[in-house]
Amino acid sequence: MSEYQRASLTRRDFLKAGVAASAVVGLGGAARLTPKVYGRARATKKMIVLGLDGMDPVLTRRWIDEGRLPAFRKLLEQGGDFRPLATSLPPQTPVAWSNFITGMDPGGHAIFDFFNRDPKTYVPVFSATETSGGSKTIRIGKNVIPLSAGQVRNLRKGRAFWQILEDAGVPATVFKMPSNYPPVESKQRTLAGMNTPDLKGSYGMFSYFTNETKAITQEAGGGGHAYDVFVIGNRVEAELKGPVNTFRTDAPEAAVPFQVFIDPENAAAKIVLQGQEFVLRQGEWSGWKRVRFNLIPTQSVHGICLFYLKEVRPKFKLYVSPIHMDPARPALPISTPESYARELERRFGPFFTKGLPADTSALDNGVLDEEEFLTLDNMVYEESMAMLEYELGRFDEGLLFYYFSNADQRQHMFWRLIDPGHPAYDEKLAARFGDVIARTYGEMDKALDRTLRKADRDTVVLVMSDHGFNTFRRGFNLNTWLLQNGYHRLQRPWKQEESSFFDNTDWSKTRAYGMGLSCLYINEQGREGQGTVAPGPDKDNLVLEIARKLEALTDPMTGERVVLKAFVSKDAYRGKNLEMAPDIVLGFNRGYRISWQSPLGGFPKEILEDNTQKWSGDHMSAPDVLPGIAFANRKFTAEAPALHDLTASVLGVFGVEKPEDMIGRNALE
Amino acid sequence: MHIVNLVVGRAVDLVLWPFRGLSPWFGLVVVSLLTALLMLEVYKLTSNQAAIRRAKDRIKAHLLEMRLYKDNMRVTLGAQAGILKSNLAYMAANLKPLAVMIVPLVLILARLSLWFDRAPLRPGEETLVKVELAASADPLSLDLRLELPPAVEATAPAVRIPDEHEVVWRIRALAEGRGRLLLRAGDRTIEKTVTVGGGPLTSVSALASRGSFVRRILYPGEPPLPGGTPVRTVEVLYPARRLAAFGVGVHWLVAYLVLSIAFGFALKGVFKVEI
Repeated sequence: MSEYQRASLTRRDFLKAGVAASAVVGLGGAARLTPKVYGRARATKKMIVLGLDGMDPVLTRRWIDEGRLPAFRKLLEQGGDFRPLATSLPPQTPVAWSNFITGMDPGGHAIFDFFNRDPKTYVPVFSATETSGGSKTIRIGKNVIPLSAGQVRNLRKGRAFWQILEDAGVPATVFKMPSNYPPVESKQRTLAGMNTPDLKGSYGMFSYFTNETKAITQEAGGGGHAYDVFVIGNRVEAELKGPVNTFRTDAPEAAVPFQVFIDPENAAAKIVLQGQEFVLRQGEWSGWKRVRFNLIPTQSVHGICLFYLKEVRPKFKLYVSPIHMDPARPALPISTPESYARELERRFGPFFTKGLPADTSALDNGVLDEEEFLTLDNMVYEESMAMLEYELGRFDEGLLFYYFSNADQRQHMFWRLIDPGHPAYDEKLAARFGDVIARTYGEMDKALDRTLRKADRDTVVLVMSDHGFNTFRRGFNLNTWLLQNGYHRLQRPWKQEESSFFDNTDWSKTRAYGMGLSCLYINEQGREGQGTVAPGPDKDNLVLEIARKLEALTDPMTGERVVLKAFVSKDAYRGKNLEMAPDIVLGFNRGYRISWQSPLGGFPKEILEDNTQKWSGDHMSAPDVLPGIAFANRKFTAEAPALHDLTASVLGVFGVEKPEDMIGRNALE
Repeated sequence: MHIVNLVVGRAVDLVLWPFRGLSPWFGLVVVSLLTALLMLEVYKLTSNQAAIRRAKDRIKAHLLEMRLYKDNMRVTLGAQAGILKSNLAYMAANLKPLAVMIVPLVLILARLSLWFDRAPLRPGEETLVKVELAASADPLSLDLRLELPPAVEATAPAVRIPDEHEVVWRIRALAEGRGRLLLRAGDRTIEKTVTVGGGPLTSVSALASRGSFVRRILYPGEPPLPGGTPVRTVEVLYPARRLAAFGVGVHWLVAYLVLSIAFGFALKGVFKVEI
């Protein structure tokens, strides 16, 4: 309702509206009432921020020049501006978006990598969230009854910018912001983004039911499982595995049986799951299917999943997506207010709630092929566009932040097809899918086009990405390098390649170890469980020595340096939250990244190895070579703005003073 | 049975017809009110009002007795026995009206389920058509074909499940309207309605049955299927309809029973009915 309409509301209109509202509520209309964004005062300024994960400035510039991104070009032609955006150290998604959320660097918000470690046990842990069960339980037979509720905690430190806006009375809607799970306390409308787990508590665990032999490579925090099934009389009986049932002493996985009835001749089947019956043809996706896992008679959790009937014969192959939390009844908090997720569900039906919905694991493992992966990710894109349209439609004040994951996920998986020098380059596939990344940028352009159509002269539009992208040809085994250079010691050297999670490490003789995607830690006395290096000069000298050697390391196959810069974190970061910081952060050269096995304590034989996986593009380089993008319909005042400067810029648009611990500066005119 | 269904059906349809463009709640409230009036009248005519009043008076007297002589164990126990006896007498007096009422009530409920239990398909929505065959029929060797009205298309080939004596088609609604599915079984043709779109309150018949007397009472929306074919039932899996009240989904049956009982108690004094 506009100001004018508000002013012209008569007493009679008010009474009529009141009666009508009562009738609507009483007769079922309550579902249509939606929570209002919070704000003490009506904001006079408006701002829309599009967060396009992984958009690279070089590619963006090239495709603008080629006329493939008309909305970006229009933005520039109408007085807008473009800058490469300095990314975080390391340029990993949770770190980068935390920089933007808080206006600080990792020294302030304390997210240093996807993974951190418990320094006492050297066990890897997720850096962004901590989940704990009920602290007190009683056992009755085989049942465990918790006496207190479990907890899931967002470990990011510092206040989010929409909390600061809330204090200032500026309403905000923040849609799928990465690294905001569980969503921090706020009365603003927020929906959790990347890091939101699936119903099993992982970053995404697909299920694959087949009667052919299939091995799945597990990833840290996600992946999938292949289940052997038998086709007997054109019928398959199987179980969909859900979360671990912590109400039982033996903690089994909760499971839901389902049946598949295959037509003896036609390439189609009927699937029956908890009373739901649906037919799929071979090569067809189902819509969302609801699934309920009963834990004890009074407790159940609700999820949603997609089925894909890949093949019925000669082999039976059925893919089931990771089970997302049902937004109508989420098992864990995914939005603020809680009703926001339910509101979206009522409007759109079930939707993707897991942090990054594209199933990269399924493509990597050959469970889905390129076409199938894109079909699934296109569902994510279409859903995002529909919800963007909805949010733009009702946006009339304050801030709207809206996030797209597609560019990041597709660049990870399809870079090999635009890089003939990549070990996994395939000429035939490149002919078919070589333009996927360009098309994806084009889809992001459509999102910008919709946004620009909505924005009036008073609306500040900012388009940003958290980092750029480049090829990932060679993997660096950091722990193997530490081992070969005498900084790490194994108990049984002859079992080097079988080691994982440092289970073979002789900590009493180890001085350094690598954990996570970019981090190196000194085995420091008093900090680590079995520390060997004294803090102070001993440690400082060792850090400098390792950093110097890493920067000098060259790849014998290419002659290129592997690590452009080994950052000493105490010099690189500002802020007071450095107790969990790594000692060295690796900034890789283009084409290089940490290997697949090193991040969680593996020791492959070679220091460097080809990356033959489909996951072929990445963003682990030194930040200087991997900036993101910043476009705005205003001029930038800074020549090289950084992520944390954009946070200060958002506050600046609304005239809100930035907190003292925020290191960013307003970069917009 | 078909004629009874037809008469009850026409009556319920006539009542709900004016409300089909409104929220289902309006129709449900009116039907609940009329049901309450009907049941009050049936109850008044078929029950022994004097016996019911006597039993209730005795229960009240015994309750008073318990309150007055609460220190006297013998009297209290006697009063409790009296309450139990009067309760049994009250229940016995209710048996006859309940037995009479249940017949129209089941017929009305079956008819109301056509209006409130399932929602029609929306254009673009997909669902299944399920055909249940006689136990002796083999769906693989059977010449069974589905012909669809223009408002509906098949989106998958038939899935035949010999173990379940079942054939399933997936259909997609294309445009609003009510049409007929034609199921050709050899030289015989079976018809089943399919409903797409319509007002907020639209009746849909999910199942057509050749089957038992009970099935014909419970699924009164269509005439019974003809004999001489192996087809026992034809079902369109319409989505379930939930009524929303204050943001919470309510099953129509719960809402109907609560409203009918509330109206019954509210109006019993007006119609001088002792319940």
